Amino acid sequence: MELLIGAGVIAATLRLATPIAFAALGGVITERSGVTNIALEGCMLFGAFFGILAADKTGSAPLAVLIGLLAGTVLAAVHAVASVTWRADQIVTGMALNILALGVTSYLNYEIYGSGVPSGVPLLPALNLDFLAGVPFVGGVIGHQNVLVWLALVLVIVLQLYMFRTVAGLRLRAVGEHPRAADTVGIDVRRTRYWAVLASGGLAALGGVYLTVADTGSFTDGLTNGRGFIGLAAMIFGRWTPVGALVASLIFGYGDALSVSLQGVSIGDLRIPVQLLSTIPYLLTILAVAGFVGRSRPPAADGVPYESEGH
Amino acid sequence: MKRLLALAFISVLMATNTACGNLGGLGGPSVKIGLVTDVGGLNDKGFNSLANQGRLDAAKDFGVETSVTESKKQEDYVPNLTNYAQQNYDLVVGVGFLMTNSIWKVAKQFPNIKFALIDGAPANDKGDTENLPNVANLFFKEQEPGYVVGVIAAMMAKDKVGKATHNTVCSMGGIPIPSVDRWIAGYQDAVKTISPTTTILHGYSNDFVDQAKGKEVGLNHISKGCDILFQVAGGSGLGYIAAAKEKGVYAIGVDADQSDVAPGTVITSALKRVNKAVYDTVKAVKDKAYKAGDNFFSATNDGIGIGKVDAVVPANIKTAADQALTDIKSGKIKPKTEIQVKG
Amino acid sequence: MPIVSVLAALLAGAVLILISGSNPIRGYAALLRGAFGSPYNITETLVIAVPLTLAGISVAVAFRTGLFNIGAQGQLLVGALAAGWTGAQFPELPGILLLPLTLVSAVLAGGAWGAIAGWLKAARGVNEVITTIMQNYTVVFVMHWLLQNGPMTAPNAAGTPASSPIGAGAILPIIIPNEIVPLSRLHAGVVLAIAAVVVFWFLMWRTSLGYELRAVGLGARAAAQAGIDPRRRMVLVMFIAGGFAGLAGMIQVSGLFHRVFDGFSAGFGFDAIAVALLGKNSPVGITLAAVLFAAFARGGTIMQADAGVSSHLVEVVEATVLLVIAAEAIVRALAVRRGTPAEALA
Repeated sequence: MELLIGAGVIAATLRLATPIAFAALGGVITERSGVTNIALEGCMLFGAFFGILAADKTGSAPLAVLIGLLAGTVLAAVHAVASVTWRADQIVTGMALNILALGVTSYLNYEIYGSGVPSGVPLLPALNLDFLAGVPFVGGVIGHQNVLVWLALVLVIVLQLYMFRTVAGLRLRAVGEHPRAADTVGIDVRRTRYWAVLASGGLAALGGVYLTVADTGSFTDGLTNGRGFIGLAAMIFGRWTPVGALVASLIFGYGDALSVSLQGVSIGDLRIPVQLLSTIPYLLTILAVAGFVGRSRPPAADGVPYESEGH
Repeated sequence: MKRLLALAFISVLMATNTACGNLGGLGGPSVKIGLVTDVGGLNDKGFNSLANQGRLDAAKDFGVETSVTESKKQEDYVPNLTNYAQQNYDLVVGVGFLMTNSIWKVAKQFPNIKFALIDGAPANDKGDTENLPNVANLFFKEQEPGYVVGVIAAMMAKDKVGKATHNTVCSMGGIPIPSVDRWIAGYQDAVKTISPTTTILHGYSNDFVDQAKGKEVGLNHISKGCDILFQVAGGSGLGYIAAAKEKGVYAIGVDADQSDVAPGTVITSALKRVNKAVYDTVKAVKDKAYKAGDNFFSATNDGIGIGKVDAVVPANIKTAADQALTDIKSGKIKPKTEIQVKG
Repeated sequence: MPIVSVLAALLAGAVLILISGSNPIRGYAALLRGAFGSPYNITETLVIAVPLTLAGISVAVAFRTGLFNIGAQGQLLVGALAAGWTGAQFPELPGILLLPLTLVSAVLAGGAWGAIAGWLKAARGVNEVITTIMQNYTVVFVMHWLLQNGPMTAPNAAGTPASSPIGAGAILPIIIPNEIVPLSRLHAGVVLAIAAVVVFWFLMWRTSLGYELRAVGLGARAAAQAGIDPRRRMVLVMFIAGGFAGLAGMIQVSGLFHRVFDGFSAGFGFDAIAVALLGKNSPVGITLAAVLFAAFARGGTIMQADAGVSSHLVEVVEATVLLVIAAEAIVRALAVRRGTPAEALA
């Protein structure tokens, strides 16, 4: 039981879900405005590399968060120009930016950190909630989580409220559902989409910052390892809502945590090969979506470039 | 527009000519060395980057001309090796066991070009090893450095040195294949021999890139009492070390000296001197002493070893490790090559 | 004009290469030479273009029907595993039996794996983007298990995670003899790829099924007008898509490696998404885009080998070229007319 729902596994779930949740939140924002951003992976990689670079060069972890976030935003800006202004194919643009991000970060990693990121780099601390120390389970789960884990949770709530309880959020959704109508009532479709794409890049980058500046303090080429795409899946799984995206990320993270905690465990004589344990998060996600989520509807104008009447 | 195109076309043509001219080369009969990495790439902080280090060292010391190609896909191995062979490079080095069949194919076609393969021997189309007169197989006895760092781990655990208080040592591999498992086998062999009461745990990250995954395996091991963590998992291994650092326990580096990754956490490293193997092979080609077939790099020829030992390791343990290395050299100790405690 | 923007992208790349300390003119010359500079290099470019074309078709079939198949990579690997298994299981069979058997097993396996995503969408409403992403990873780990000391690992693998070689009958012959192009690896897979392009064209534009699928791709209303239930087509479409990708995997096994390696044919299924879109999901377009991608892949490595340009800068140049092509009006115009992929993603 400890292996399945112990505090250790659930704490690991939170850690593993965090980078995915950031990417998924980015996806929610941009797709709600009607722009697909498949370059979440690249934005994440930018955040991861430039975050650790900034931590190393400035000696400040908070500054690293900011710079990492900005780096992701810059990459997303290219996506915004290409997909909103040039009305380029959003998928191809996104794929291109993923290749670009891998190339740029790997190149700089080789040039700057050929022999590894130095060891003294300041990292983001955990939030030690010592008053929880005596509380069984809860203390073990949230007593020592990194500040970025908490930031992810806070952002989920903030974005959920923003999107469904504010006028600005309503406008964002209007642009994604019915840009023509939004335009008619005076919402600047292009501007809204620009901001949404930039925000998505920044959010995904925070996921990358988590991986390097909070989790490990080092960088390897392509270390995001597809988490941007998992985030994309979590966004759909969560029906394009921040809370849904978080739930989806947690389910994936739980599967990932199990794939580690179940290593070396045998049921009678049966020992599950470690490679097959690694399939748990993926299969669990498919099962969860098939079992509980079912059909979901994207924003109506998602991925469709908008041309105002003037064109 | 048309003029612009024409201009572009002409400049490309000219460039092609220049480049071909360069390749023709007018200088003396300089030695040319080409290195083809496997899909891990030059930034792998493992055998590819060490092989490249050997190439650069050789270039500096012997003044040989060198070049490197990173393979992006397994489909690339044959054409990348062929490219150097076609240009009459004197030595073409391939990195990694995934190239065994590719190097066999290419080397057979170019009997006058010398090849070397890190971690493998040429394998024919049936998959059987078939040595060729122009391929040097550069093998390492990974179980040997694994054993030596295992001696340090075992004694630290047994004597409860510093933060090693739980008498439990762990390891993590990237994937369960022999070239990874041999390190772990030596490590476990030393622990079982020296401190039979010590608990041994072992796991895999199933990956060589994902640091976060490696860290989770590390945290999981630490939660079970591990306080000495040895990793053979490239980038994932960095995550495993990060877990040790965060929780204030000890880690052991691999391939290169990783003491700089986390001083005070990394107590030593198990070294596989791929750089030396490449360097020596280049030297052999230059000195006309190149030897095809199996070339073993082991304790005997300093092909393996251990890295900087942290001050936390007591002198008697350090001495014991040095003794183990000596005994391996003399053949008194023969570390096991099969893992005993599985992941 | 696309040419102008591509030149601009290459120029930008040249500046980067120059800053990095290499010679851009030598670099681009090496790129060109690596891709097309000799008969051998051309054959190698085509060797890469073959799986890209087939995986591109896989993605395009789905796009044309309004589905986003991110799973071509996994379907390719499943096809390769099936081909590797079949080919090695019956090594004595003559080619006339074994080759078709290998091919059919790969197409069926890739197709079945793809059809799972179609079925989950039709029956449970599961978005195919989620399923296919998750399936890709699942295949990779199952493949690790099969080939790293697992049920498919060759007894003589000597530490290499690989399957046993396939029988001689399962091997696709080299079509350009080594007497003409020494060392050529160009195999009959290229013929299969061309045949697949024709089949794709015929299926989508010359059969009533293709008409129905494209109607579904154009939107639910169009489909309803034509009296088609889109859900009933999803399983079939994803089966077809998976089948094409599975064929790509079979060709890598039968034409090139003659066994399955762990970590094999990495990335083709992802590049295929860009290949399909750049090729406007059309038979000829996909073929050309695949050759372009393959040229960059082969030329790019030679750019590093012969001109010392960092392979990562090559990626940056490639991405920049891709970006400007994506932004071109032509792509855009067609993107609006077809069932756009992004719509399918959503």
